[in-house]
Formats: sequence, C-alpha cells, structure tokens
Amino acid sequence: MKQRRSLVTSVVMLLLSAVVALPFYYIVVNTLKTQAETLASPLGLPSSLNLDNYVTVFRDTPVVRSFLNTLYVTVLSIGLMLVIGSLAAFAVVVGSKKLAGILGVVLAVAFVVPGQATLIPQYEMFAKAHLVDSLNGLVLIYSAGSIFCYFLIVGYMRTLPLEIFEAARVDGAGPWRIYYAIVLPLIRPILVTVGVFQTMWVWNDFLLPNVFISSPTRQTLVLQVYTAVGQFTTNWPTFMTLTVVVLLPMLVFFIVMQRHIVSGLVAGSVKG
Amino acid sequence: MSITRVANVAIDDGTHRDARVRRRIDSVGTWGFAAPILAVFLILFLIPLARSVYFSFTDYTGYSTDVNFVGFSNYARIFSDTSLISSLSFTLLFAVATTVLVTVAAIPLALVLNRAFAGRNLVRSVYFFPAVPSAAILGLVWGFILNPLGSGALNTMLRSVFGVGPVPWLADSHLAQASVIAVSLWSQTGWHAVLYLAYLQAIPAEYFEVARIDGASRSQQLRFITLPLLAPAMTVSWLLLMTGGLKVYDLPFTLTGGGPGFATRTLTQSIIQSGIARGDYGTASALAVLFLLAVGGVVLVQLRFSRRMEGRFS
Repeated sequence: MKQRRSLVTSVVMLLLSAVVALPFYYIVVNTLKTQAETLASPLGLPSSLNLDNYVTVFRDTPVVRSFLNTLYVTVLSIGLMLVIGSLAAFAVVVGSKKLAGILGVVLAVAFVVPGQATLIPQYEMFAKAHLVDSLNGLVLIYSAGSIFCYFLIVGYMRTLPLEIFEAARVDGAGPWRIYYAIVLPLIRPILVTVGVFQTMWVWNDFLLPNVFISSPTRQTLVLQVYTAVGQFTTNWPTFMTLTVVVLLPMLVFFIVMQRHIVSGLVAGSVKG
Repeated sequence: MSITRVANVAIDDGTHRDARVRRRIDSVGTWGFAAPILAVFLILFLIPLARSVYFSFTDYTGYSTDVNFVGFSNYARIFSDTSLISSLSFTLLFAVATTVLVTVAAIPLALVLNRAFAGRNLVRSVYFFPAVPSAAILGLVWGFILNPLGSGALNTMLRSVFGVGPVPWLADSHLAQASVIAVSLWSQTGWHAVLYLAYLQAIPAEYFEVARIDGASRSQQLRFITLPLLAPAMTVSWLLLMTGGLKVYDLPFTLTGGGPGFATRTLTQSIIQSGIARGDYGTASALAVLFLLAVGGVVLVQLRFSRRMEGRFS
C-alpha cells in the first residue's frame, strides 16, 4: 500500500516536472533545426543533427565579448561586496556599541528602500561622474549589495568565539592581520554562501545593465540576448541557440553550486 | 530578512561579549573597517534617497540648470496619467496574484517533496531550476512560446492537438496580464517550495509520532502541527513575494514590453521610462517616492503581522 502510494507520487511528480521543463526542451531542440522546421513543428525532433546555428551564433554575435564583460562585472562586484561586507562585520563584532547601532540603522534603511527608489538620482550622479556606460560604473552600483552581505556575514561571525581575536592580538597581530589571517579563513563557509547568492543576482540582472549600459561592446550577456531579439525576429532558431549558449554557464553553476544556492536561500530567509 | 532581526542585530551587540577584548581591538580604530560600507550607504542610498524626494517637488530635467519648486504637481500628474495609473494597478495586481498563487501552489508541492519517493531529488531540482536563469531571458523565451500568431509554439500545439486557436496570448490585455502572472508562477513556485521544504524538514519527527499515538489523523496533523510550524516560512515567503512583486521589472518587460497598450506595464518600467528615457526627473522621482512608501508599508505591515503570528504559535 505504502509502496504503491510512493509509486503514484513518483509518476505524477515526474510527469509534472516534465511539463515544467518543457520550455527548456523547446529552446534546446530548436537550436538543432532550421527556421522552416521550427515553424512547422516547434516541439518535434530535428530531421538531422545540425549545428549550423551554433556556428552562426559564435561567428555573428559578440557572445564571447559579452561573456567576458559579464564575468568581469560579476567577479569584481562580488569580490567588492564580500570585502566591504566582511570588513564591516568584523568592525561591528569587535567594535563599539555605537558603531553597531549605526550599522543597525543602515541595515534597516537598506532593507526597506527598493533599488528603484534610488535609481534616477543614482543615474544622474553617475552620469555626472562619467560612470554611465562603463563596466566599472556597473560594479560600483552593484556594491550596494554589500549591505546584504554584511547582514549575513555578521550573523555568522557572532557564532565565533571572540577569544580567537584576543589570542591573536596578544600574539602581536594587528587588526588588518587579524582580519586577513584569522577572520577571512574562519568565515569562508558564509562567504561562499553569500557569494553564490549574489552571483545569481549580478550575473542575471537585466535592470541595471539596461539602464546604465548603451554601447554594444559593453553589453552583458542578458542585455545582449535582449537586443538580439530584434536582430533575429525572423530567425528563431539562431535566437534560441544564443539563449542556450547564454544559459549554459548558469546551468553548470546550478549543478555545481546547488547545495550552496539552497543554503543561501535558506540563510537569506531563516535569518529573518 | 526582516527588520525584527535587523533590530536585534543592533541591540544584541555587546551583551554577550567581553568588553575588555572589545576595547583592546577598538583602540586601533574599527571605524576604518566600517568606512567602506558607510560610504556605500551614503553614496548609493542616503544621497540618492534625499535627491529623489527633492526632485519629486521640482521640474528638474537633468539638463536645465533652472530648477523650480513645483509643490505636489508631479504627484498630481501621476494620478491623471493613464499610463502611470495602469502601471500602478498592474504592479499591484501582479504582486498580490503571485503572492497568493505561488503560496497556494508551493505549500502542497513542498509537502509532497517532503515525502520519500523515487526520483525526488531530480524532481526537486527541475522545479527549482526555473528560478536560476535570468528572468529577463526566460521572459524572451516565453515570448516565443506564447507568440500570439499561429507560429507561436503553444498555438501550434493547440492547433495540432485540439484544433483550436490561434489564441492571442500576449495581444489581448487580460490574457497578457494572465500570461505574465502564469510565467512568473512557473519560475517562482519551485523556489518557494524549496524554502518551505527547509522549514518542513526542521520540524522534529517526534511531534508527528506523539500526535499519531494520541490518535490524530493525517489531516489533523497537517492542520495542528505542520501548518502552524510553517507560519514563519509563510511570513518570509510572503514578504519576498510581495516586495519582489512590487519591484518586478525584468519578466513583464521582456515578455510583453509592457503591452498591449499599458496593460502589463510595471511601476519600475514607468520610473525608467519617464526618468531616464524622457528625462522627466520630477515625475519619475514622485513615482519613486510613492513606490518607496508602498514597499515600506508592506514591510511594516508584514512585520506586525509576522510578530503576531509567531506570537500566537510559539
């Protein structure tokens, strides 16, 4: 009886997940087809294994360039966020009550204020500083995420015994050295969790690149896919191939980091 | 991610810590370590926020040096502009609809995923995956699937299987709104189910054992143990869905471009459209201020609500 029940659950859930996965099957299968085949039967299998679309994408679109742009922005943003967030967390854990109070206010404001409410003045300020249409400008805007990093890191750091810092201090280590040689290695697990969580935001973000980037050579992957829709309105298979190429790094990231993605999602919420 | 905890972070500090150690490290100046985050806060939050409020009362365009104080006329304009009103109402509809529907779908899904069955890990990953890629790209992909012409994948399928169609998925106002909400459901339900699942797995098995011994039926266990213990997960999930729904931009924008007409235009799209594309900083900032009040209101209501719920159940 119990086994039968679990068998029914299995079958129903697998069928349902096939429906959920259908859009992904749809884009992948169409990358192997010609435009005519796609229009005739969108979900059918291709008549032959045809990789022309992939050749076209790598030859005719700046996908490699956009990939490098995205990588540059993501790596720098995440690095910056983690450094700023962990420095502040260290300062609060060992610092004065007053500082902790100030950062409590910072957190509260940052949680309530949505990015959209500050977008227009940010754009105006960045335009004046010539940081619009610049990858470095984008990195600076993303550094706003360091406040969320701080929030998760400080929670983790409070679980560490403060005596470790005292011992290092007695041994003659300066604050920088304590941060670099003791704090950073100790908080590695939370850095990975937070880093993975924020990577998914920065890598996938469309709003900020769409507002701040205008040159085709500075596009991120998501922005490139968006502008390619207009370019490939008459050639769906090429567009879908571009999509698959762009989604592939995210799929690999998901498979490798799934555990961290889920723990980040739980940490980000359970903390509240 | 709630303010309760944020406040606790601030108050909690110093009570369990050795003041002697604190003072020693403090003496070398921990303020320097906090300087970068304070700079981020000042430049990316505080100053822009103050300027948003200021711009909302002026006719600033970003180009002219001549800035005039115009009182509440920017706010008045919002409520007389049909495109802005419809973006306000669609954003609200989207936020409420996704919150309700995702919750209704995610809790049963989490309950099933919490049982043992063959292929559970695979199924869980498949449901979760749509939340991983960029929502903007998924919007574009769904645009091809829901293409209103006969050439859209869904319409082709409907024609060949049921002989109906073509359905104007994205060309009709109400269908387009429903489509945007449906695609969002598709991409978010698994994510929230995994969130609920994490809380479900934290419920001690003994609770159910004791309930069984006392003769509680399955539905009684669900009603008196599982759902009450999921209350904190619900408040978190609702907060994320409501604020995420109010802030939504990527998915509706890439799926429909805000159309047909202004049917699926979001508040964020309106802010960007009027502020950056048209250079009308005044109106855009007034919208941004209203938006801030709405999101802040949701957070505060949520907080009171979650305190009460947690108080009742714990």
